Amino acid sequence: MKLEILLAVFFGGSLLTYLLGKISKRARDILAVLVLLFATAGITSLYGKSSTATLYTGFLDFPMVLSIHPFAWIFALTIAVVGLCAVIFSWLYIRKKGRTDFFYFMMLLVIFSMIGIVLSGDFLSFYIFWEMMSWSTFLLISYNRGKAIAAGMKYIVMSVAGSLAMLVGMISLYTQTGTLVFEGISGSLNSASSGYLQFILILFFVAFGIKNAIWPLHVWLPPAHSEAPSPFSAVLSGVLIKIGTFGFILLIYGIIQVQVFVNLGHALFNVRNLLLLLGAVTILIPTFIALFQDDAKRLLAWSTVAQAGYIILGIAYGTSESLSGGTLHFFNHALFKSLLFMVVGAVEFRTNGVRDLNSLGGLIKKMPVTFVAGLIGVCGLIGVPLTNGFVSKWLIYHTLIVNHSPFLAFVALLGTWGTILYSYKLIHHIFLGQLPRKYEKLQAAPVSMKVPMIFLSLTVFVFGVLPGLPLHVINLSELGFGMEPLAINMWGVVTGSGSIQMLNIATALILGGIVLWLFFRMGPKNTRADQMDNYAAGAPVPADRYQYSVKFYDPLTRMIAPYLKDIADNFYSALARGIRNAGNGIRRIYTGDVGNYALYIILFLAILIFIQLYWKVW
Amino acid sequence: MVNPVLFIVVPLGLAFAIPLLKYISKKIIRFVPALAFLFNLVFALRLIPVVMDHPVHVHIGGFIPPMGINLVAGPVGMLFVVLIALVGFLVSVYAFHPVKEKYEDRYHILYMLQLTGATGVVLTGDIFNLFVFFEILCLASYSLVAYLGNRAGIESAVKYLIQGSLGSGLILIGIGLLYGQFGTLNMADIAGRIHSVQPVSVYVPLVLFITGFGVEAALFPLNAWLPDAHSSAPTTISAVLSGIAIEVGLYAVLRVVFTLFGISNMMGFFLVLGVLTLLIGELCAFSQDNIKRMLAFSSIGQIGLLVFAFSLASTQGITGGFFQLASHTLGKALLFLAAGYMITRTGSMEIASFKGMGKTMPFTSLAFTIGAFSMVGLPPFMGFPGKFMILKAALHDGQMLTLILLGFILIATVIEGAYFFRVVQVLYFAGDDLPDRERAPAAFSRLVPIFLFTGLIIVLGIYPSLITDLLDASALELLDRPGFIKSIIP
Amino acid sequence: MNFLSEYTYYIGAFSLIIIGLYIILVKKNLMKVIIGFSIFDTGIYLFLITVGYLREGTAPVFSKSGLDAGKMVDPVPQALVLTAIVIGVAVLALAVILAIKIYAHYGTINLRKIKEQRW
Repeated sequence: MKLEILLAVFFGGSLLTYLLGKISKRARDILAVLVLLFATAGITSLYGKSSTATLYTGFLDFPMVLSIHPFAWIFALTIAVVGLCAVIFSWLYIRKKGRTDFFYFMMLLVIFSMIGIVLSGDFLSFYIFWEMMSWSTFLLISYNRGKAIAAGMKYIVMSVAGSLAMLVGMISLYTQTGTLVFEGISGSLNSASSGYLQFILILFFVAFGIKNAIWPLHVWLPPAHSEAPSPFSAVLSGVLIKIGTFGFILLIYGIIQVQVFVNLGHALFNVRNLLLLLGAVTILIPTFIALFQDDAKRLLAWSTVAQAGYIILGIAYGTSESLSGGTLHFFNHALFKSLLFMVVGAVEFRTNGVRDLNSLGGLIKKMPVTFVAGLIGVCGLIGVPLTNGFVSKWLIYHTLIVNHSPFLAFVALLGTWGTILYSYKLIHHIFLGQLPRKYEKLQAAPVSMKVPMIFLSLTVFVFGVLPGLPLHVINLSELGFGMEPLAINMWGVVTGSGSIQMLNIATALILGGIVLWLFFRMGPKNTRADQMDNYAAGAPVPADRYQYSVKFYDPLTRMIAPYLKDIADNFYSALARGIRNAGNGIRRIYTGDVGNYALYIILFLAILIFIQLYWKVW
Repeated sequence: MVNPVLFIVVPLGLAFAIPLLKYISKKIIRFVPALAFLFNLVFALRLIPVVMDHPVHVHIGGFIPPMGINLVAGPVGMLFVVLIALVGFLVSVYAFHPVKEKYEDRYHILYMLQLTGATGVVLTGDIFNLFVFFEILCLASYSLVAYLGNRAGIESAVKYLIQGSLGSGLILIGIGLLYGQFGTLNMADIAGRIHSVQPVSVYVPLVLFITGFGVEAALFPLNAWLPDAHSSAPTTISAVLSGIAIEVGLYAVLRVVFTLFGISNMMGFFLVLGVLTLLIGELCAFSQDNIKRMLAFSSIGQIGLLVFAFSLASTQGITGGFFQLASHTLGKALLFLAAGYMITRTGSMEIASFKGMGKTMPFTSLAFTIGAFSMVGLPPFMGFPGKFMILKAALHDGQMLTLILLGFILIATVIEGAYFFRVVQVLYFAGDDLPDRERAPAAFSRLVPIFLFTGLIIVLGIYPSLITDLLDASALELLDRPGFIKSIIP
Repeated sequence: MNFLSEYTYYIGAFSLIIIGLYIILVKKNLMKVIIGFSIFDTGIYLFLITVGYLREGTAPVFSKSGLDAGKMVDPVPQALVLTAIVIGVAVLALAVILAIKIYAHYGTINLRKIKEQRW
């Protein structure tokens, strides 16, 4: 399949979906799914290919190049699959709301702009798709009105700032190398000085870091993820922020070669160490902030920030194992995090928009499939063996430990500990414990939501047992970057101290499980007690609420909360207020008195004449 | 090939035919401006290939320069003529639906005079002639700002008039000083001899010109009239003032600085001035609640960006500046028309009153959104290539001052993004979602120009190369001073 | 003294310009500001005329052959001034009309009090 045809179908299909929605809602829903199915199929058919196509050269004589290679392929496929699931999920989710055509249009536009980004072969098309993605995301985040408006504003302002930094970086690269095509740039950057490379890296890191929500640049993410419509949160968290990851990998491994990157700058103060440090901070602080959240989506949003930290650690470390770990974690995170957002979205859909963890509970009886999906997602998030998160986290830990970075490894492990805590909170507060009275008539999630959830749960499981499948593609891309790939087979990494074979682990776990099951089987049979049939130290059991979900982890919270203020957010708010006040102050120069205005004119004239008197410009 | 003088004569003649045509039919006069500018547009476009080859000179009355008045239709001039005719035509289509029923004929006369003046300024090769056309433009603008006759309009018109006349007076003094030294009014002739006299005696007319034209071009401390006038003028006039008038003022400044005086070591001052104008414009716009005032301050900011681009004084910078100028002309005209159309529906200029417009006026809201995105410089709209080219030129320039100023430009762009996105959010997402809002009936003559502007912004955003040839030629005309002089006075 | 007689017209012209500017900048009465503009413009006209003036020059009309063009007053500034006067009159008329309108709307022509359009 030709790349340009693929893109033409994508954008044509999005527009057609919008127009069709004016005629028939059902046809529109089907068309949206069909377009995405086509996208998935089209991208799948490009497996293993490396080709380049020049799209058109009409833009200021810059060629616009599309290219596909294994590394782009895995990103594109992930985006298409997550997008497909999200669109199927939104079938019923969005039906109650207004402006559904617009929602679908923007959703497809975001997804296809992302695919456009990963398929682009030069910075110009990269930037154009990037910006299209930014503004369509902005419109979608604002879609829910109310609090979402502020969230959208935060997002777009940061996004514009980031993309301007990128624009400067890319034009600077152009003035340095005379081309915007990736291959051309990487070919002629060899002679560039180390200082210049760091300057470029920093500029791009601002752009990618904002998208990827690295610690001081993450402030847009929690409100945006929690206020966006849930299917879009899934896309946002699953793949959109990973476009930043894509950019990082592309820049570090594809354009500036990784050997150059690792050896850049001073031994201690260099971009790589900065990135590693920020990655560690990004794991540490957001993980524990997530712990305090009572809004399910906000909790997941903070969790996304934290997980992005792992990915950054993997990428910035710069060995082929760490890159495999980082890329694999991107892939896995896309699957389980969009799954989790869908789980929360399904609950939100059935309970009419309740996301407050403290008022939910016991939904396991009403929404069993959703519970299982949520459990699998959470297991993936924690990195329980047999789910995909295990392998990628293993690779990252292993890199950090064998390469003597004990602090980073400690932070990563501490982050996982926090992850376990908040994951348990999430699953417990929603599904376990006592079912509130008002939810006794709750229905299970509709089929259109179950299907993507079940599908994603399966992928979490399958790639947990067979990590060789994604690792194979990652190996191909590492070859493309000129790196020595890991030795792998279907079940994991084969050689070295980091060998991990899911076959062995799975066998051990399954055998252990059987033993345990037999053990419990032999014991006395447990009796089922009703939830109300309970003993509460003589006190009558309250009929409605008997569940310790409010003030969960309270002692821990009291202990660490004072240290976990979102300093970055406060800083940006203060900055925004400052700019507003400055604007309000400055516009007082337009006093309304025309005498003053005339005076300005004469003063300007006088200043100009003084310039000549002092500097003799003529 | 058409004689460039017709671009001035046709609108001027038709303007004064309006009082006569009024006796035939009151309705017919609405179509006269559209007709005139359609004529200009079509023939100007046909003239462009000729002009790209070599500039067309017209000697009024047959006098050979430096005697007499001459018209120079070079690439710069034709670029402006096309822009003026395009905006003039589309805005006059918008005015088919009258702005105010009373005194409609006078509105059309003044409107045509205003744009005739603008066309004259960009075509003439004679400094005094330039002044005269400039005065026609300004006078028509003063009266059009007051056209609605309300408090705000009259007040703004008075203030505009006082500042504008002060500026014109300074220009006239400058012309007198130049004539006293060179005994000629032909710009090419003066330009050729400018370095033959005492430095100070040319510097004074230079600063007089910069200040005088700077008032109309809305350079930083001289632009106090702009927010008032733009926000209280009728919608169509705001569009023309913001899209044409200040650009023509900027043209005059460019012509004076680049061609007439050919001064190159003041560019640092202009770079700083441009960025100052940009920052102050954007900061003021950031905290506005009145949509037209916000757009007006945004115009100040854009002018600052243009001044910065032109002051880079490189081919890339000037090409980028011209592209951004075209983009601002189309974008701001679109924004003013769309905002004005929404104001006629809501009856209020408060941004907050626009909530729910995305439902009631979907096309206008969409057009406004696209215009806003283009202003911020998001692809695939027209603002992006402009911003891209300017950044490219600035980085290519590579001096420390430029790079520092570039940082400020980026900050200003972020601020600009913030306030434009705020309006877009109000249009679509503010308030509660009302599922069945009445869609307002659409006036065809108002939607058509809005549509066409939107279409142009998208097309030129995707195919900027459609006009870059003309822009390159324009940049060359401004930079190649000896060539320009030689083409007029062999 | 020689200087004075040489440059009388220039001194007069620029005095008028400065006086006009002073009035425009300082006075708060709109009518006075308009008068200031009038004086300012007059100064400019005088200046333009002076530029082309030749002491004891003749009218620039070739009424008979053999006239020395070097002894004629330069006609161009006079043409300029005529044009400028026309423009000036138009501006003046417009300004006065607007002053009347201002009075109708605000009940005052004190420019310091007409400050609704600001910031």
